[in-house]
Amino acid sequence: MSVYLDNAATSFPKPKTVIEAAGRVLEEVGASPGRGSHKHAVEAMAVVSDCRQKAAVILGVKDPERVVFTKNATESINIVLKGWLRPGDRVIYSAMEHNSVARPLMKLASQGVGIEMIPCSSTGVLDLGALDRLLRAKARLVILVHVSNVNGAMMPLQEVADACVRAKVPLFLDAAQSAGLQPIQADELGIGMLACSGHKALLGPAGVGILYVRTDLDVLPLIEGGTGSRSEELEQPEFSPDRYESGTPNLPGLAGLREGIGYILDNGMNRILNHEIGLAHYLENELWQIPGVRVFEPETRGSGSVSFVVEGMNPADTGSILDQAFDIAVRTGLHCAPLAHRTLGTFPDGTVRVSPGFSTNIDNIEYFLNGLRWIVTKRG
Amino acid sequence: MNSEGAEDLTAGQFASAMVGVYDRSGKKLEQPQWVIRERPVTLYLNGKEVVTLLCAGHHLDELAVGFLYAEGFLRFPEDILDIEIDDEAGTVKLSAGHDDPIAERLWQKRTISSGCAKGSLFYFSLDALMGKRVKSDVRIAPARILDRLDDLNRLSETYRRTHGVHNTALADSDRIILFRDDIGRHNAVDMIVGHVFLHGIPLADKMLITTGRLTSELLIKAAKVNLPILVSRNTATSLSVELAVSLGVTLIGFARAGKFTVYSGQERIDVGLPG
Repeated sequence: MSVYLDNAATSFPKPKTVIEAAGRVLEEVGASPGRGSHKHAVEAMAVVSDCRQKAAVILGVKDPERVVFTKNATESINIVLKGWLRPGDRVIYSAMEHNSVARPLMKLASQGVGIEMIPCSSTGVLDLGALDRLLRAKARLVILVHVSNVNGAMMPLQEVADACVRAKVPLFLDAAQSAGLQPIQADELGIGMLACSGHKALLGPAGVGILYVRTDLDVLPLIEGGTGSRSEELEQPEFSPDRYESGTPNLPGLAGLREGIGYILDNGMNRILNHEIGLAHYLENELWQIPGVRVFEPETRGSGSVSFVVEGMNPADTGSILDQAFDIAVRTGLHCAPLAHRTLGTFPDGTVRVSPGFSTNIDNIEYFLNGLRWIVTKRG
Repeated sequence: MNSEGAEDLTAGQFASAMVGVYDRSGKKLEQPQWVIRERPVTLYLNGKEVVTLLCAGHHLDELAVGFLYAEGFLRFPEDILDIEIDDEAGTVKLSAGHDDPIAERLWQKRTISSGCAKGSLFYFSLDALMGKRVKSDVRIAPARILDRLDDLNRLSETYRRTHGVHNTALADSDRIILFRDDIGRHNAVDMIVGHVFLHGIPLADKMLITTGRLTSELLIKAAKVNLPILVSRNTATSLSVELAVSLGVTLIGFARAGKFTVYSGQERIDVGLPG
């Protein structure tokens, strides 16, 4: 048996419709969307527009034109941070952020942007009191990871969004782990910006990310270039999505993403969420019963990601043996989130992360547990 | 000396060869000289060939058991059903009740690190699986370490005759408990591991003294059997020092001429104890 339990990195396998759609546009459409008026270009544009509409639906955004396609969540995050923050600005972020936020922030800090962290408990619970205190002084942005990629801990989005609305500070939501799993109502929550990837819970191919920017927020684009619109002007268009979508889009990726989101809408996001969280709870309960295994359980779970360590064993070794002896794919180490691991007390070795997906079943989880039990028994 | 070192371990370990000894001027002396015996021995586990070792050819049961235990193929002594040694053919065939095909899948597999954390100190997956931090409260006086090293140096008749073996001993602070030598330092250690495994000797209060370099392989072997102190008259390698720190092993090198160097685990050296 071969078991893939690394869906928090990228979902696998993809629904068949995703693979077929990506293949179909390569075989039958093949044009650059929005560039040219021939049938192929028109059809390509229709694919992209439909994908944009579906993405708007799943993110709770009324105006699909505010939904921008990028190459991944990291690019979306960089656009916001570098296009919105200026030297002298003050930005507030959580202690559970991913390096896709932390690294650009560190660079901006070196250029004079003030950065302040909202602490979290050792299980990843955000200190809302600290956020309120931090918001008493003028801030340009609050950044929040919706669901931790390390242990699936969910942040109190509603409370943070309300606090940001009260303080009149835009909230930038990193929904890389939650988009496609958690219901997000970006408009209703008054979220300022949102970034997510298309290849995780949204089930699309790698190479597609999503960015949402609220109409009133003047986030500068990271790159300029051809957009297929207002080509007579040498200045970058100011309207969304063209402002942020220079260059030929990733048509096979977007065709696949459209089907990925379609799969979620057809099958019910809540059903997929309950399936993955149900597996995670089962897994956590079983892991606690294995001697020498320590689980980093969140207080509020937002995804199926489960993090644990075998006491005295480097997580990289545990993952290596699961792969070599049992053909089980898990992710080990710091998961590109050293801040979160410092918060959880698992820095610098990190943890073993098991992240089931929509197609993972209980037999897969049992197979994994038996593999881990063998490792623990063998170590004696 | 109350130790197995007193038994005649040298029988059949070396041969005599006629050699020519030359000096700078070209003067030649024909003379007999002892040379250490070297031979291939193939280990089989439940009918499957595992490895061929080049060794001096003695204590093959201990060598086979020590090797197979250290590599994760054996777990408990009672699992061993039979050990068949064919000295002529150079084979050791071991039958075990609990054959572990999963461990076989990991045999000689490299550990894989993603670069997303510090990564593993181990390079083989089976070592990563079996290597644990040593648990031991043993303390030892510096003079006792040097005394046991002197004991070891007196023991090897084969070394004196051939200069072709590594000597290894298991000792506590008072005496050498077990002595083995072989052309390969790992073989000598495997023999000791095999003996300890077969006889259920606890190691938490013992030290291993060797004439070989203190390498990572030796460190990992020590951690697998919960051996707290490693001593050599030779040097340690960088990876062995890293592993010793990580696995809680007291690593002692350059033990000669009345002193020694402690690379890690100095808390086990107790200068207040009687020497």
